[in-house]
Amino acid sequence: MLLLEAFGVMGAGIGAGIVALGAGLGIGTLAGKSVESIARQPEASGDIRGAMILTAAFIEGVALFGEVICLLAVLAGK
Amino acid sequence: MIHHKGTSHFFSHYFLIISFLLVNLLFPKLVLGNKNKENTDVHHAEGKKDIDMSKIMMHHVIDAHDWHITDLPGSESGQYNPIQLSLPWILFNLTTGSLEFYRNTEELLASNKYVVAHEHAVPVASTTPITTISVDSAEIDHHNYIVSEDHHGHKAIYSKNAAIQVLDLSITKTVLQIALVCILLLLVFISVAKSYTKRGISAPKGFQAIIEPVIVFVRDEIAKPNLHGKHDKYLPYLLSLFFFIWFSNLLGLTPLNSNIAGNISVTVTLALLTLILILSSTTKSFWSHIFWFPGVPVPVKLLMIPVELVGMIAKPFALTVRLFANIVAGHLMILALIGLIFILGEGGSKPGAGFGIAPLSLLFGLFIYAMEFLVAVVQAYVFTLLTAVFIGQAFEDHSHAHDHSHSHETKHH
Repeated sequence: MLLLEAFGVMGAGIGAGIVALGAGLGIGTLAGKSVESIARQPEASGDIRGAMILTAAFIEGVALFGEVICLLAVLAGK
Repeated sequence: MIHHKGTSHFFSHYFLIISFLLVNLLFPKLVLGNKNKENTDVHHAEGKKDIDMSKIMMHHVIDAHDWHITDLPGSESGQYNPIQLSLPWILFNLTTGSLEFYRNTEELLASNKYVVAHEHAVPVASTTPITTISVDSAEIDHHNYIVSEDHHGHKAIYSKNAAIQVLDLSITKTVLQIALVCILLLLVFISVAKSYTKRGISAPKGFQAIIEPVIVFVRDEIAKPNLHGKHDKYLPYLLSLFFFIWFSNLLGLTPLNSNIAGNISVTVTLALLTLILILSSTTKSFWSHIFWFPGVPVPVKLLMIPVELVGMIAKPFALTVRLFANIVAGHLMILALIGLIFILGEGGSKPGAGFGIAPLSLLFGLFIYAMEFLVAVVQAYVFTLLTAVFIGQAFEDHSHAHDHSHSHETKHH
């Protein structure tokens, strides 16, 4: 049914936007705090950089869970 | 351990000749264009071509039974002219208990028993379609009928043969790519192992020099801190997992290769292996923590039972979806950015728009491409790290909880 497909695509679009918002907020906070801590203690920048990349991967993982669900919402209508 | 003296015996010319013959006789058939030049009556406006970008994007990411390389010129007008490697279909017929082998899709269709719908072989009662009128897939009784699309996008409805059930064991693109990754891993690591027997403890050279720091990294940063003394037992699995995911992600970014972590079956399998390893290394205290969580009142204990059980399943589930979504999202983003050129150029009728967006699109695409290299190694690291953490949690002894702060050495760099 075309209506089901249309609602699926609309929901997926809005959902993907909100997911990106969440990921941006999370990784932005992370980046801010980690840059701040590098400024406080430049000797620890190697450790902090490693922790930053690792935790960014986790947050991005959560964001991509949402993206996968949006993809499913598009394909469910087809 | 394979001990070799002198030249590399394993890859001698006999091996190469035999494997070349096997590959050519048994398996893929390279298709160069279409011998039957079909006459199609697809009408288009002047110069404007219908580009279904989402279909092209999905086609690049999903598994297929033909390894599609490119199309010969002339295929824009609707002719089917591919350059592809046709991979064999291997179907296990559950009803008759027989294993059926078809060298490519044409042979499968010629057997008059199946049609192909969404890269699945569906048993049909007859290969003459019931109707070729295009209807929405949602309006069909899927138990009895199947919609199949041919190369030109024309759909036809066939009546299913519900009596036959088939198990698809074919060599698909993903399976062949996994085999290629495994061959690459064997090449690199057998060479590394040989250099250790040849060189002993003197300075490393070649592959050994690159791989050794990474192995030491996996052992010292992933295995040792999380596996509390039993890390030698799990190190083979963790190293295999790390290098398999990393090499397969990297290979998936190169031309003529496909990505395997973009197929959820592959990531589910990896997570299931982790789950089996976790469950096989559990202790009694682990299960008592799940079913009778200590240190809380009894109603909370009862509530914690389903929570802990779901948590046990959710951890491997998160592993699979994280790896799958990261790889698929990266590839789709690159394809979407490049596809933007074709969408805006409207298939050739507006070349100005296409050329205009091309520099921007390529720059962004290159940036995302560079990020995908980082994602390849980070996802391998995260998968392996979480596997080590979960296995460590399975046999962790909670009674030593306060001793940890004293016995842990401080990290020094």
